[in-house]
Amino acid sequence: MSYKCSRCKRDVELDEYGGVRCPYCGHRVLLKERSRNIKEIDVQ
Amino acid sequence: MTENFEVQFIDRDERTARFLVRGVSPAFANGLRRAIIADVPTLSIDSVRIIENSSVMFDEQISLRLGLVPLTTPPNEFEEGDIVTLALDVEGPETAYSGDLRSDHELVEPADTNIPIIELKYPETADSPQRLELEADAVMGRGRDHAKNQGGVAVGYRHLQTVVVEDDADEYSDSEPEILRGVIEERAAEHAVATDGTGEPENGALVATETFDNDLSKRYPDKEVSVRDVDDAFVFHVESDGSMSVDELVTNAADSLAERATELEQAVQL
Repeated sequence: MSYKCSRCKRDVELDEYGGVRCPYCGHRVLLKERSRNIKEIDVQ
Repeated sequence: MTENFEVQFIDRDERTARFLVRGVSPAFANGLRRAIIADVPTLSIDSVRIIENSSVMFDEQISLRLGLVPLTTPPNEFEEGDIVTLALDVEGPETAYSGDLRSDHELVEPADTNIPIIELKYPETADSPQRLELEADAVMGRGRDHAKNQGGVAVGYRHLQTVVVEDDADEYSDSEPEILRGVIEERAAEHAVATDGTGEPENGALVATETFDNDLSKRYPDKEVSVRDVDDAFVFHVESDGSMSVDELVTNAADSLAERATELEQAVQL
């Protein structure tokens, strides 16, 4: 899963062992970025 | 019924029209009104592929707004279910308007170019401006399936009315305004005064009530009047959303009525 650290703004990869923490600055608040996939929506 | 069918225009414009139809039943008039609203196919955006949306609105909200943008629908070019692709790419700080939509068909474009879709910003705290990039498929559809496909908006009709002069007004009574809205057929020209832009009163002429401030006491001063409906004559007011001209809209609606009548006739034949 790819996140972005809210303090140092760097991309962070999380695995299931490391816990929720930025490996560069130790900040515990991570933001989920919007996926780059194209999203198709039906107008209704 | 159709043999003595008569149409007369009162106002005529690209987007709005007012016309009188004589020799039709109330049922037919209502059928035509409903056909104009629900049975004339028009193009409208039906599915959106969002490539980037960093604006403050959800993809679904933006898609809904795009769906409601009227698109010009060239006559006899498309059938129901046909698809035209449009694209939009706007970066902040700027407002994305319907006019920013680019289509892959030269005759299809937004009917109005000044409909705001979303305001995009370049926030001071952000390292990039908000951006909206998307592709959209416009599909031919009918108003009965979704209101975004309604070609006719504000479609209505009322009876043609006529004014009968009963008597002279009571000499000492206060003259009160008598409000009537719509179109009247002049049948008491000898009692009427000329109102702005309509020339001398003449029997049989159609007079829009706006020309005398919707006030019968200005048209027929010092007279006691009563208003009657004219049988089987209806004044239609039709407004188009811009996807086609009012003329095309009404003729297409009449065609669709005729088509369904023929279909029914064939279906019930033994």
